[in-house]
Amino acid sequence: MGLLSSLLAAALALQDRAFIEKHCAECHGPGDPKGGLNLSDLKSDFHDPRTFATWAKVHDRVQDGEMPPKKKRPPPREEIDAFLKSLAQPMTAADRAREAAEGRSTWRRLNRYEYENTLRDLLGAPWLQIKEMLPEDGEAHRYNKVGDALDISHVQMAQYLAAAEYALREVIVPSAERPETRTVRTYARDNPSFSRKMKFNEFNRSPERATFPTLGFDPQPDVRADKAPMTVGPANPALREKEGVGVVAGAYEPLEPKFNEWKAPMAGRYRIRLCAHTVWVGPGKGPKWWTPDLDTVSRGRRSEPLTLYSEIPPRLLRRLGAFDVTPDPTVNELEVYLLKGEAIRPDPSRLFRSRPPNWHNPLAEKDGCPGVVYRWLEVEGPILDAWPPAGHVLLFGDPGSPRDPERLLRDFLRRAYRRPVAREDVARFLAVIRKALAANLSFEEAMIAGYSAVLCSPGFVCLEEKPGALDNAALASRLSYFLWNGPPDVELRAADLGQSGVLRAQVDRLLDDRKSRRFIDAFLDYWLDLRRVNATSPDAALYPDYYLDDLLVESADLEPRLFFQELVRGDLSARNVVASDFVMVNERLADLYGLPASEGVHLRRLELPAGSPRGGFMTQAAVLKVTANGTTTSPVLRGAWIMERILGKPPPPPPPSVPAVEPDIRGALTIREQLDKHRTIPSCGACHAKIDPAGFALESFDVLGGRRDRYRALGKGTPPPGFGKNGQPFEFHEAQPVDASGRLPAGESFRDVVELKAQLLRDERQIARNLVRQLLVYATGAPIRFGDRARVEEILDRARDSGYGVRTIIREIVLCDLFRCK
Amino acid sequence: MLNRRQFLRGTGVALALPAMERFALAKNAEPPRRILAICNNLGLLPDKFFPAEAGPSYALSPTLEPLKEHRNDFTVLSGVMHPDVDGGHPADNCFLTCAPHPSNGGFRNTISLDQFAAQRIGHLTRFPSLTLGVNIQNGLRSLSWTAAGVLLPPEEKPSAVFQKLFLRGTPEEVQAQIRRLEMGRSIMDAVAGQVKSLEGQVGARDRDRLEQYFSGVRELEKRLEKAREWEDVPKPQAPVAPPEDPASPKEYMRKTRLMYELARVAFLTDSTRLVTLMLDSVNTPALDVEGCEIKDGYHNLSHHGKSPAKLAQLEAIDRQHMKMLAELFTSLKGSAEEGSSLLDRTMVLYGSNMGNANTHVTTNLPVLFAGGGFKQGQHLLFDRERNYPLPNLFVSMLQRLGLEVDHFATSTGTMRGLEMC
Repeated sequence: MGLLSSLLAAALALQDRAFIEKHCAECHGPGDPKGGLNLSDLKSDFHDPRTFATWAKVHDRVQDGEMPPKKKRPPPREEIDAFLKSLAQPMTAADRAREAAEGRSTWRRLNRYEYENTLRDLLGAPWLQIKEMLPEDGEAHRYNKVGDALDISHVQMAQYLAAAEYALREVIVPSAERPETRTVRTYARDNPSFSRKMKFNEFNRSPERATFPTLGFDPQPDVRADKAPMTVGPANPALREKEGVGVVAGAYEPLEPKFNEWKAPMAGRYRIRLCAHTVWVGPGKGPKWWTPDLDTVSRGRRSEPLTLYSEIPPRLLRRLGAFDVTPDPTVNELEVYLLKGEAIRPDPSRLFRSRPPNWHNPLAEKDGCPGVVYRWLEVEGPILDAWPPAGHVLLFGDPGSPRDPERLLRDFLRRAYRRPVAREDVARFLAVIRKALAANLSFEEAMIAGYSAVLCSPGFVCLEEKPGALDNAALASRLSYFLWNGPPDVELRAADLGQSGVLRAQVDRLLDDRKSRRFIDAFLDYWLDLRRVNATSPDAALYPDYYLDDLLVESADLEPRLFFQELVRGDLSARNVVASDFVMVNERLADLYGLPASEGVHLRRLELPAGSPRGGFMTQAAVLKVTANGTTTSPVLRGAWIMERILGKPPPPPPPSVPAVEPDIRGALTIREQLDKHRTIPSCGACHAKIDPAGFALESFDVLGGRRDRYRALGKGTPPPGFGKNGQPFEFHEAQPVDASGRLPAGESFRDVVELKAQLLRDERQIARNLVRQLLVYATGAPIRFGDRARVEEILDRARDSGYGVRTIIREIVLCDLFRCK
Repeated sequence: MLNRRQFLRGTGVALALPAMERFALAKNAEPPRRILAICNNLGLLPDKFFPAEAGPSYALSPTLEPLKEHRNDFTVLSGVMHPDVDGGHPADNCFLTCAPHPSNGGFRNTISLDQFAAQRIGHLTRFPSLTLGVNIQNGLRSLSWTAAGVLLPPEEKPSAVFQKLFLRGTPEEVQAQIRRLEMGRSIMDAVAGQVKSLEGQVGARDRDRLEQYFSGVRELEKRLEKAREWEDVPKPQAPVAPPEDPASPKEYMRKTRLMYELARVAFLTDSTRLVTLMLDSVNTPALDVEGCEIKDGYHNLSHHGKSPAKLAQLEAIDRQHMKMLAELFTSLKGSAEEGSSLLDRTMVLYGSNMGNANTHVTTNLPVLFAGGGFKQGQHLLFDRERNYPLPNLFVSMLQRLGLEVDHFATSTGTMRGLEMC
């Protein structure tokens, strides 16, 4: 569209003015217009963003039937349709003109997730930990992918420089000699953090905070009493194999046994095998039956989940994975990436964590309590795919290749830049290397300086997109940062993405690759706020059954990710976002959800019984956790969150002068009773009628997604019997009943979340529309503007036959112009 | 001045802090502001430390008695905590980071107050920050942490701190540092060149982003240059004699006093503006206190089980801590800088991760905050059941440094009831 015609189109038609005079001006005319909006005065300059936004609001209010208000006589349908159509035309034209001139998205740098993944892929070093080195990214329109919020400061630059240099040094190997891949075994008995804790000392006389020796399923009182040696040692391998060290509590200060006699000699891939089994430890003699008698041990009664962390002292922990330890000794294996110097710390995550004073093991029964016994840890590694490693070869060429800075730099740039390398680029960075050499830096140091500069430069740090259709290189980048959250690989770079068939095939290839998990993680971290799953913690007094339960939160964090993965893999309908007939759970989550739980830490697909309130994102523990604050839930906050994230109908922001309603944890009034006072004020009620319903339905779920019929409260009342994960007696009591009923703005009422979901499913297209919009912002780094709406509908039309399959939606997004142009 | 909140509202997007760095630099002309943050990881006996009444006319508690002559120069905080920082002893490493749940699986520390500030004002002095310690358990404790959760090891030897501050490094060390900084500048120069070359090729909105990139690069270059210049400036004349290192960990109090003195002279010579000091009491044996025989290890004493004998020793230790703080305040007051006293320009934070070491409670932390250009001389009493977030104090401190910052870690605002002079 030419400039002149776009300007002509971007004006308000005369008949629209007539519509406004006839139906709107009475309230929104000169004088004292309602809501401060005077439509007679409003210019029709659609190139001004503010004016545009106002007209968009007018359009949507009329479209949704909210304006003119119900008490006025409604204009005839065809008049409304004509008005909307004719108003939309210049607005769409204005948006398109802007898009043609500058593109929908703004030039942007990589966010810190992307920067980390890009360095990992480039240097062939998946273990690199970069993200935390960089400042937190700004967010706009809910995502960390929008150029307008991805700022660059000197702090950002300093951290890029530090991160780049760190990453480069991590992949450089000191000698050409290939390190041996070894298998090393370390016995629990030989690790002081296990063996020392067998003895009591002035700071600890509690058996819950001690370790204990076992031989097979038998206790070893003599070893405990120091009357027999700690281990038979290598002299008796058969007996040594049966020696173990047990615990009845999880890994938590001050009982934190770890296998640190072995530490990773270098960063890389390792295979870890842990030999362990579960035990049952007899009850204490005397009145304190809940205190274990460490000299009475027998075979375990059930399996225990075990989480492995890597650790660099002090407490730089990374979760490596989890498995189940069974009553019979088994060897569990995990393949992991370790950093140099990392040791292995196991946490039997179901067991309790003793917090003072006078703790009482909640898992203790009259005849004893469960425990876990460790025998040994075996580590095989580093497992090397090639030597020298790919990252080293990228930086310095194959062994024996000439020390030619220019050639090395050019090769590096070709790999690091996701677009063709210009001659000036080589010259620019070669100058850095030459200067370094002139300053008497070694060849390696000079190359590191040059490479660091590349890794701080726009060619690496930014997505370089130009207005109009993206060229092949920019499209490949956009696609891989969408579906891998990282750089394109060789195949994607070489693909002719101008052909729809090729583009389509690449979408499937990327989604089928393991790297697509990065997309799912990063997308859900922002779409559903999963990155905030640990931002607040369950209150120790109100929710002692959740407090300190890492297993619960880690499982909750995994569930939505695996669930979304399932939707993508099976091209399952977007309606599953709201309601599904299956969930992805392990024992801990099934237990939380009141579903039949089979032992085990791994999340598996479980079909739901008919009428279950679970299924879909909004009743998942992680979502219910990020929408609460650890102590209380608010139907307003949860309702607003669901409206925006799940249903795609964001409520207007709260008025600045109204304080939030704080739930009362003394249990006197329910949150609904408090809110009712507020909702009955007409000016408040209009918005709250839209915001609160979903939140009310979710009042059936507590701060971590457990089902509740009554609110918990502190203060006067009788606590139920029981002890928290921290070993402290329950202080809370059951108070006011929960009322989860409500009425949607369109008028239908519901009794609970099951009925709410059934009603929401009636507009399946809206659920799919929201998912399309969320994915589009994530994929293109630009909000959905007025002018984009028609193309969103086109995507939906094309996905309709698949029942709005999530994979189909992703594919149609990529094939759409919104994705293929800047 | 631009109100950050208004500004953010105007943009309609949630911006992260880095966007604000540009504003921070403009304020460098103001007098230097400093922070000394001290954590005693066994805390103070709460019954003896916290005053009974709130407000400016509170009566000094027995522990605070030695600070009598300075009562208008500090504020006592009660009913404060770091939200969700639990888990007993490991909470000390979070005293300046506020990272939640240090004992839980998957824990990773976050950036500490001093390092956050050092990223922004560190270039103004020869040393961006100093991390000090007394009786530190090797490699396990520090108050200073990087954003990636890496511990910055505290310097334990007073003589080494003195050498760092006042004695010239070996030529090799100086050369290596100069080369490092010059390489950084050369790298940024190349990057700036590429950014500039792109600016002509893009539309107005994109150019705005590139201009921001360019100024980020140039700003870092300037800071590297500034840091480089320090290598040519001779180190200052030492205003005090070189210290001797106490030989035994029993000399915990003497070591602490020496570290206080070194912090003072580091500020006086404007060698740095950010000092942290971890007093690792947990790792301290029976220590020497004037006028009282301490019979047991410090940690052991802290689990006093209400034994009167142990409590009496702990009281003596706590009072000694306050006496030394009083000495520090006196010497900071006695050190003049451009018509102000050093105390007026130095925020001294003294506190603990332990509310009650006897029971490992990490709520109701004992905190004393002095000097620094705030209206001091009161007891700010918050809800002892539902504690007030202590990170809010850190936001106030960062703002006092002249930084445009409105949150830090789990803060919810600035410190309620604490006003700048």
